[in-house]
Amino acid sequence: MKPVYVTGVGAVSACGIGAEALWAAARDGISAVRPIVFPDIARQQVHAAAALAEADLEEVWKAGDPRTQDRVSALALAAAREAVAQAGLTPGDLGHRCCVIVGSGFGGAQTIDRNSRTFWQQPATRLDPFSVPKIMPNAPASWISMEFGANGPAFCVSSACSSASQAIGFGLQMLRAGTADVAIVGGVEALLVPSGFRAWEILRVMSPTLCRPFSQGRDGMVLGDGAGILVLETEDRARARGTTPLARLAGFATNSDARDLLRPDAAMAACCMREAIADAGLSEADIGYVNAHGTGTVANDANEGEALRSVFGDECRKLAISSTKPVHGHTLGAAGAIEAIVALGALRDGIAPPTLNFAAADPKIGIEPLHGTARRFSGAACLSNSFAFGGINACLVFSRGD
Amino acid sequence: MPSASERPSAIVEEILDIVARESMTDRSSLTPDTMLVDLDIQSADYVMILMAIEERFGTYISVDEELTEAKTVRDLCDLVVGRIEASSVGDAV
Repeated sequence: MKPVYVTGVGAVSACGIGAEALWAAARDGISAVRPIVFPDIARQQVHAAAALAEADLEEVWKAGDPRTQDRVSALALAAAREAVAQAGLTPGDLGHRCCVIVGSGFGGAQTIDRNSRTFWQQPATRLDPFSVPKIMPNAPASWISMEFGANGPAFCVSSACSSASQAIGFGLQMLRAGTADVAIVGGVEALLVPSGFRAWEILRVMSPTLCRPFSQGRDGMVLGDGAGILVLETEDRARARGTTPLARLAGFATNSDARDLLRPDAAMAACCMREAIADAGLSEADIGYVNAHGTGTVANDANEGEALRSVFGDECRKLAISSTKPVHGHTLGAAGAIEAIVALGALRDGIAPPTLNFAAADPKIGIEPLHGTARRFSGAACLSNSFAFGGINACLVFSRGD
Repeated sequence: MPSASERPSAIVEEILDIVARESMTDRSSLTPDTMLVDLDIQSADYVMILMAIEERFGTYISVDEELTEAKTVRDLCDLVVGRIEASSVGDAV
């Protein structure tokens, strides 16, 4: 199988602008979850989220165009610029042999939110004439393809919390298949708007207290906005340019529970992890760190714990497993990319980041994640999990580039 | 001390009404000892029940560990009454 390398990464998140800001916050256990107030929600019940800092959002918009872009596209473009610059690519390098695949669960949520309000409350007022191209979920992929002159296939993968992991994995498959030589892949979400936030509130999966993955007393997740983009290149292409890869994207698997829209299935999650590790040509013993999906909801964490025990057996006690969602929030359609970038930082530095807010082990989960502070690990590869509503599982395996 | 659902209370009656209505269950079949599993209450029903509780009492309850451990109508009622009481204490402060 043709090796595929990661040659650039970029991120915009509540932790700041840049992949290094994200990795540093995850490694040092510095949460970017902050109070959030939506005056338009009549009775806001949850009061925290990992929203971008005002100054960072202003910085992102300096290079964006609010007339034609929703926040979701501006975030994706900012992350893509960083990733492409790190890879050392210029628009002239891309063309027909570069594909763009960017996941998003909700697309241009802010435009939908504002438009709906105007439509119902002020029917005589003009709606945003650019509503459709701002809202369409493929807008971030299209903007990236335009900015960098990437003429290969460009599309959005929308599979809730597995969107970005699938987008990255399908990029890997396209490079292996020879459809392209370079892939700009990842995910983005910008759902922190009144109606989007309220929709998650009423599903009862947001914590009114603290997001505490895999812990006793957990009561839900915390939402976040963000974008994560990776540049993937075939070995031939990366070698020809003399690039030093950040890591190898070694394996990917995705499957579907085909059972229940909201309740996850441990057997299929375990199957997905095993298949991703096998796709990488590795064994479970090669995995040194797992960035778990670990949402902090009752259902996900019990399910993922069971799946991890099934895959890694007693090794779960020694393996570094953590969820970094209490740091950067659950960024939904961007989660797989944000967390892949955390996993890449972990692999590069040999440091597994901690799970914040952990209170006590839950016997029903059966695993105790790494918590408190980061620790060193020696494995040659990392696994990053995404498990979405709709029963869609996606797992990625990264190994050292050399 | 009797559990919340054993106290004759308007709140308990209202919660039972909500459970019956939102889970489309016959109200007369609801007793404190009824097992929730026998009512065939699914995750979607919980979302509807908790939404109705928020609308009626202003109390936000997420799907947390305690809720998923509720086995009987009494367990569910006790949890909900406890949370309503706790949130009204919070409001007073």
